Amino acid sequence: MIKKKGFAITMVVLLLMVAALAGCSGGSSSSDGSKELTFMFRGGTDEQKAYKEVIKKFEEEHPGVKVKMVVTAADQYATKLRAAITGNNLPDIFYFAPGDVKAYVNSGVLKNLTPYIEKNKDIKLDNIWKYGIDLYRYDGKMAGQGDIYGMPKDLGPFALGYNKTMFEKAGVPLPDKDKPYTWDEFIKVNQELTKDTNGDGKPDQYGTGFNVQWALQAFVWSNGADWLDESKTKVTIDDPKFAEALQYFADMQNKYKITPGIEQSQTLDTYQRWMKGEMAFFPVGPWDMSTFEKLPFEYDLLPFPAGSTGKSATWIGSLGIGVSSKTKYPDEAVELVNYLTTSKEGMKQLVDAKVQIPNLLDMADEWSKDTKTKPNNKQEFIDIVNDYGRSLPGNYTYNAEWYDIFFTDIQPVLDGKITAADYVKQEQPKMQKLLDKAVEQEKKSQK
Amino acid sequence: MITKSNLYRKEKVYGYLFILPPILGLLIFTLFPFVYSLYGSFTDWDGLGQMNFIGLDNFKDLFSDELFYKSMYNTLFLMLGIPIGLVLALLLALGLNRKIPGTTTFRVIYYIPVISSLAAVSIMWNWAYNGDYGLVNQFLEIFGIKGPNWLMDKDTVKPALILMTVWKGLGYTMLLYLAALQSVSRSYYEAAELDGASGFQMFRNITWPMVKPVTFFLVVTNIIGGSQIFTEMNIMTPTGGPEYSSASIVFYIWDKAFKNLQMGYASAMAMILGIFIFIVTLIQFKMNEKSSFDGD
Repeated sequence: MIKKKGFAITMVVLLLMVAALAGCSGGSSSSDGSKELTFMFRGGTDEQKAYKEVIKKFEEEHPGVKVKMVVTAADQYATKLRAAITGNNLPDIFYFAPGDVKAYVNSGVLKNLTPYIEKNKDIKLDNIWKYGIDLYRYDGKMAGQGDIYGMPKDLGPFALGYNKTMFEKAGVPLPDKDKPYTWDEFIKVNQELTKDTNGDGKPDQYGTGFNVQWALQAFVWSNGADWLDESKTKVTIDDPKFAEALQYFADMQNKYKITPGIEQSQTLDTYQRWMKGEMAFFPVGPWDMSTFEKLPFEYDLLPFPAGSTGKSATWIGSLGIGVSSKTKYPDEAVELVNYLTTSKEGMKQLVDAKVQIPNLLDMADEWSKDTKTKPNNKQEFIDIVNDYGRSLPGNYTYNAEWYDIFFTDIQPVLDGKITAADYVKQEQPKMQKLLDKAVEQEKKSQK
Repeated sequence: MITKSNLYRKEKVYGYLFILPPILGLLIFTLFPFVYSLYGSFTDWDGLGQMNFIGLDNFKDLFSDELFYKSMYNTLFLMLGIPIGLVLALLLALGLNRKIPGTTTFRVIYYIPVISSLAAVSIMWNWAYNGDYGLVNQFLEIFGIKGPNWLMDKDTVKPALILMTVWKGLGYTMLLYLAALQSVSRSYYEAAELDGASGFQMFRNITWPMVKPVTFFLVVTNIIGGSQIFTEMNIMTPTGGPEYSSASIVFYIWDKAFKNLQMGYASAMAMILGIFIFIVTLIQFKMNEKSSFDGD
């Protein structure tokens, strides 16, 4: 009896050990001898679906290569990637933020793609957004120049959308797509469109509802201010022009009451209000196109209202696709990156899925002229990339802690509890301290 | 004699085999990361590249780090939920320990949050706390109360989190108390009744001391768990809440380590947290020793 029991116990222990050890190893060669690549990415459901289709096509065209996809929720992605790097368990191909290029190159995480791209005569770099490629260049000192460490998955110009149907219903003249509103005009139009439609004394149709973290930039920049100076080492939010823009932003809620009040200002709310057709203006990214196509109203794009510079401004987001410096199959991995970012076949599928604007210039040109699909004024996206879009301030520095804290502390300004002028004065030294730390960290990582 | 010692030796081997898996697990998943992190706390490691030894600099920086104190304070503040949860759970357990119909149903109802995924529960409460269409404010509206925007206001975000964690842990605590209550021999109460003790006297002198080991266990585990609270705020206030008012210490560690490339600094904080938990637990064990009730 005892013997039998002992055998069983030993087996269980062995099994447990095997299971524990198997968990540690990360093989990348699949059982049937084909080369297996791991691709880690993120995106909404429509995006995921589109990428799955493209990868399927890639596998068909490249027999012997299998792609294993790892998808995570957007807000979990960065953590998961960092954990994979720390744990030395990086996927072969992965998304990364342009702001991380310096850190990842300095620590040898990313593979230099330049030789592979130069070797491949199908890739014409001058047919891809220069802005997009430059985001992933780094020469060891300055970002924006030198070798290429990633290819832009896409560019995400953040445009302003408006509910055309609502304008027509209210008899308000449609905005001019070539001439941005001034700030005063913008308030006026919003006031006309903020309405109590069911007569309960509370408005249930609003002009706008901006999330401060993603929309304040448009107002600050168009007023001639910025978070950072030229050298990217000094925090410049204590500029009066900056305070003016921030105050304007807060006043939209507190003074002009054209956005849902404090109680209703959560992002989810404004997004859903827009989707329900209860909001006149709302920012639109290219990734929204597939979702917004099904909206029960007509919408279109226009430039953000312009501050004292008289010029509209907004940001361009981007994610790069990079290759791990430790990948077993660099050729195949780069091939996949190229397929997703520069090949006609891959790009066409992604653009048709309405999750991004084309990476290829000629394709973008043709795409923007198509006025049969929503939004009509796709040219606005292209104009942002070509003319006036900028990178988010956090992208220029080694980490974005100094930038994040600005938004962490901002609620009292939005609630009207303190003025923008006081806020920028109180916040600047705090941010400067963190920025100094980031600059110091960057210097250390370079040697 | 020889056979007996053989059997003994054999059993010893089995004994070791039995404890081998958890010990291996402890070595691989606890001790190794602990030592690694301990070393990391003396370096400027960014989590990516090489580690440079910088001595105690991280710890020195910690003392002047406003957010470190803030997140420590937040963590301690959220622990207010522990006594509240214990009292509520004990009351519930006392109620459900009576022979009245329907207790089983209630036990199940109170236990459901415990078995639900913390992430799912957090998302659900996130909706409930929404200032505009949230369930909580809609409920308050019935009484004519205009509820705040719970998670966006630095004054209400912590109470909101406490309410949720109490709700989530109630079933577990209640179940342990229930088990403890049921193991109290009826004979004590019968004797007390004969002596003419009131209900409250019985509770104070019999029930409370008898469930003390459970209370002790719960306080220790709750404080350890409470110091490490993370998922709730990570989902409900992903940026640490208005003015970082809902960020716990683990949230701050995670923020530094994975978002801001300061793994060494984060390790130093983790060490401080570890020492804190160790000391608090030690104190509790000492206190429990002193006033221990001999249950038999």
